[in-house]
Amino acid sequence: MSRFFATGSDSESEESSSADELTPKAPGGNFKQSLLISDDEEDTKRVVRSAKDKRFEELTNLIKTIRNAMKIRDMAKCLEEFEQLCRAFLKSKTIVDKEGVPAFYIRLLADLEDYLNQLWEDKEGKKKMNKNNAKALSTLRQKIRKYNRDYETEVAAYKEVNWESFSQWSRSSSDSEGEAGEDGVSAKAFLKKKPEAAPEASKFLKTAGDESSSSDDDDEDEDWGSDTVDSGSESSDEGEGKISLSASFEKPKMFAKGTEINVPVVVKKLNEILQARGKKGTDRAAQIELLHSLATIAGENNLGQGILVKIKFNIIASLYDYNPNLAAFMKPDMWKKCLDCIDELLDILFEHNNIFIGENIAEDSESLAISDQPFRVRGCILTLVERMDEEFTKIMQNTDPHSQEYVDNLKDEGHVCGIIDRLLDYMETKGSTEEICRIYLRRIMHTYYKFDYKAHRRSLGLQGETKSEQDQEESEGEDSAVIMDRLCKFIYAKDRTDRIRTCAILCHIYHHALHSRWYQARDLMLMSHLQDNIQHADPPVQILYNRTMVQLGICAFRQGMIKDAHNALLDIQSSGRAKELLGQGLLMRNMQERNAEQEKIEKRRQVPFHMHINLELLECVYLVSAMLLEIPYMAAHEFDARRRMISKQFHHQLRVGERQPLLGPPESMREHVVAASKAMKMGDWRTCHSFIINEKMNSKVWDLFPETQRVREMLVRKIQEESLRTYLFTYSSVYDSISMGTLSEMFELEIPTVHSIISKMIINEELMASLDQPTQTVVMHRTEPTSLQNMALQLAEKLGSLVENNERVFDLKQGVYGGYFNRGEFGQHASLDAIYTIYVFAYQKGGYQQNKSYNRGMLSQTEVELWIQKNNISDHMTPSQAYMPLIFFRGCVLYHFRF
Amino acid sequence: MKSFFRNCHLKARKASFPPSLALLWGGQATKSAPTTRQMLVKYFDTSVMVLFLFSQVVLKIIKHYQEEGQGSEVVQGVLLGLVVEDRLEITNCFPFPQHTEDDADFDEVQYQMEMMRSLRHVNIDHLHVGWYQSTYYGSFVSRALLDSQFSYQHAIEESVVLIYDPIKTAQGSLSLKAYRLTPKLMEICKEKDFTPEALKKANIGFEHMFEEVPIIIKNSHLINVLMWDLEDKSTVADKHELLNLSSSNHLEKSLQLLMDRVDDMSQDIVKYNTYSRNLSKQQQQKHQYLQRRTQENAQRQSRGEPPLPEEDISKMFKPPQPPPRMDTLLIAGQINNYCQNVKEFTSQNLGKLFMAEALQGHN
Repeated sequence: MSRFFATGSDSESEESSSADELTPKAPGGNFKQSLLISDDEEDTKRVVRSAKDKRFEELTNLIKTIRNAMKIRDMAKCLEEFEQLCRAFLKSKTIVDKEGVPAFYIRLLADLEDYLNQLWEDKEGKKKMNKNNAKALSTLRQKIRKYNRDYETEVAAYKEVNWESFSQWSRSSSDSEGEAGEDGVSAKAFLKKKPEAAPEASKFLKTAGDESSSSDDDDEDEDWGSDTVDSGSESSDEGEGKISLSASFEKPKMFAKGTEINVPVVVKKLNEILQARGKKGTDRAAQIELLHSLATIAGENNLGQGILVKIKFNIIASLYDYNPNLAAFMKPDMWKKCLDCIDELLDILFEHNNIFIGENIAEDSESLAISDQPFRVRGCILTLVERMDEEFTKIMQNTDPHSQEYVDNLKDEGHVCGIIDRLLDYMETKGSTEEICRIYLRRIMHTYYKFDYKAHRRSLGLQGETKSEQDQEESEGEDSAVIMDRLCKFIYAKDRTDRIRTCAILCHIYHHALHSRWYQARDLMLMSHLQDNIQHADPPVQILYNRTMVQLGICAFRQGMIKDAHNALLDIQSSGRAKELLGQGLLMRNMQERNAEQEKIEKRRQVPFHMHINLELLECVYLVSAMLLEIPYMAAHEFDARRRMISKQFHHQLRVGERQPLLGPPESMREHVVAASKAMKMGDWRTCHSFIINEKMNSKVWDLFPETQRVREMLVRKIQEESLRTYLFTYSSVYDSISMGTLSEMFELEIPTVHSIISKMIINEELMASLDQPTQTVVMHRTEPTSLQNMALQLAEKLGSLVENNERVFDLKQGVYGGYFNRGEFGQHASLDAIYTIYVFAYQKGGYQQNKSYNRGMLSQTEVELWIQKNNISDHMTPSQAYMPLIFFRGCVLYHFRF
Repeated sequence: MKSFFRNCHLKARKASFPPSLALLWGGQATKSAPTTRQMLVKYFDTSVMVLFLFSQVVLKIIKHYQEEGQGSEVVQGVLLGLVVEDRLEITNCFPFPQHTEDDADFDEVQYQMEMMRSLRHVNIDHLHVGWYQSTYYGSFVSRALLDSQFSYQHAIEESVVLIYDPIKTAQGSLSLKAYRLTPKLMEICKEKDFTPEALKKANIGFEHMFEEVPIIIKNSHLINVLMWDLEDKSTVADKHELLNLSSSNHLEKSLQLLMDRVDDMSQDIVKYNTYSRNLSKQQQQKHQYLQRRTQENAQRQSRGEPPLPEEDISKMFKPPQPPPRMDTLLIAGQINNYCQNVKEFTSQNLGKLFMAEALQGHN
């Protein structure tokens, strides 16, 4: 519509031009508009018909089939079609409301009832009917009786009039076009109200149109700057169209002609309108329009800002009410209207300092009239804005994130933020601390997840000259970090509700983490002790917490703190439900676990797409961290029977990789990581590097980081270091000594780094070696148990558990099977002997091969003596003694490792 | 009739092999060997104390393994011989072809018949007295061996199973062992009742499952002379690889196998544990139920009402299925076997080590 008004510069020309232009265009254009302008009945009808055509055609088609079914006495079919017809009729309710119940529909109802009664009376015929049909007949009869009660008068009227042309009507249904046209006529003739209402309505429409268009111009001059004329006029125009439409049916006039319009009258009217709110039959759209027109009337009559503010509050409230259920989201035009309304409201509030608003102002203590006293209006702008914010989230949730529509909707975010900012300014001067906290939190919620590129660029010292003016302007704004800091600290200090503070802290941490301020983020997380009691929080806060943890982990990873990163991400990733935990989508689950209601609730918790954390990035970061930790660990504990996994998920991926019958070049991110892990296992850092950092992975993962290059460098470094460690663990048994220079060449690390890594390993007793300073070599000590010894240890472990199990049986039976189990014990003793011997043997052999028998001979001698002793006694041992050799054995093992 | 049944039974267990017994009886059914039959009857009650093994049998077994067996695959064959007083003399043997998937329709019985008939034609002992089997690191105590040895011993009391360990033999010490099932175990197997109670009643342990029969290898005098002759000619180095430690590979393998068995044992024990826990729990329930019942009955009696009808207790409380314990027993036996092996192996090697140390110290 704006295209009609955009050209108009002043009100006179606009009115005339619209009248001139619109009449010819009406048939093709929007019918609302034409309804407003033209009083030519023919024209109106034509336009309306095109709108209702579709619905009515559907109805007539259904009626046709019903009539056919009636003819062949197929009651089942009849019933089925009738049900469909009812549904279709309900669907076309809006049109029916406008047009009145179409005559053909009434006719069918009447005919059908007659027909059914006739059939019912006909006992003979009923007997002949098959079971299905008979059943259908009785149900249909009941149904239609009930249904017709609603249309009693119409049906009666129809029967009374007793159309002569009845036969013609009933046959002509094939020509839907013609019938629809005639229906229109018949509807008028038959519903007496209609023809009377129409002229009246149109009369009113005209005046209303005139009035509102002029007032609209006034508004424009007053409220909006020249740049917003377009949008403003558009929205209010739309409003007019609707007012006139709805007004024509429900409320022909707002006020009686000649009534003096003053504050009490308007308030009364307002209350009258509001009374209908929430009632079943109320047309919510119409109500909004009524309020709008009331606002314009109030504005026109200069009733003061107080009443205007009050009406605006109600308009916004009824806009929110428009959707009856919580899940549905606002339609774009409603949303636009809502935003504008709030904007206007804020304009008024800013302009007039003497308006007090608040929830706590009682209805009767309001002062709306113009007087010396300041206005007092009941209502809470903060709640409205919060609700608006929620509606925005809802809209984003319900838009397909990959469509242009989403982008368009997202553009409104600026608008929303603008409103919040304005309200924030307003609240800072007028609101209570609690209110300030609330609005601050809203502001924070809109800030925390956005990466501050300007600040980032500034910190890098890159002031690009090619920047446009707009960018320049933008970059003058405060750093988001500063804003966050200010707002959050206020909340920490002033907030009394736990929830706002928790949210603020989490957002603060998130923001820190997002901008790589790892230590601040970590300290804040640790100091807040959120980890201890987050499980008591409500789900949205938990989702926020999860998001924060994830962001924290990713931040740690960027900073090269692999272990921290792994720990932070472990909880989220190990559950395998990262998507759900972050509120970024629902997992496919069967309905037993979650009914429809729960699903709805969960859907409402989802985070809008633009706030999502990339799940692949998350998984990749996690897997790479796990790889960097796990591979050296695995290499170090190759023979350890009690080895624990650091990351189950990583192992799972490895296993999946192993199960592959044919190993092609890696495709997905996971496959890359698995391939890299395999390379790392061999200490081949170059291959590992090429698997982790390459074109594919860059585009998939690494380029998503703000400081890509730095992260990649860190990663390469880590890979080199961990590969070196893995290499030393895996191959130390092969070397007698190895030069650090060689290692440094192999892994392209500086000698001091190699030195420090090896020293660390030696200190941690991970590597049994010593450093030879003059020659810069690592000398291996070879104290690691050989594979045979390892196996003996494992066996000892297993026997331990076996003895335990056996003992348990023994406890349970208390000697019932004593004889039998004693023998079992004996068997184990024999095997213990065996291990012991093996151990001594392996040990001896090691010493023998090394040709170094310093104080080992003695040790083994005593051991052998003991062993022989034991050999003698082992034949008669009691169950409790069964442990003895085991303990002894373990002692030996420990003793050996000390040397 | 009985032999027929047995025949079928064995055929069904083709995979687990035993050279069919039916042959023995089948052979007797022909008129050609009544004397043997009488002899068998004569010595039916006396148990065999010692095994005389002819060297050609040993060589044949070794050859059989070397040619056909590799890795963990086992080779089997039939032992032929005679029972003389308290000796079982094994004078000949013939191998059994390896089973493969392809020749599933291979008829063992037919094969054995043919073989024995042919041997008889060339005047060789054709009496079935047992069977032999190679082993992999001493792991032969299995259900299959038990079953087939049982059926052998059930039919021919003197029959033995000869276990040949090629790996040990390759290390320089010929390892051949003859085993029989103990009479106790025979009884249990006859009952086919392997529940814990039955085993307990029989008071059988893994060390009483098999009895080893001492083996004496007999050479003909001519061969002995040849051996003496050869020994003179060979050099010392060839004869004694005194300090060879052989490989620890053997130990590792044994340990690995031992560990697997221990795992199995653990599992079995856990299974048994749950069973006995369930059992005792049920016993308790049963007891409680009975008590409640008697109380109620007493009350009813005092009120002059008729007592509650008797219900079948055993139907209400079905005792849990007891886990068969024979496998556990066998595992224990196998573990014992491994342990003996390892012990033997290490004690030899330890001796060598100390010798070497002493020598080094001396030098």
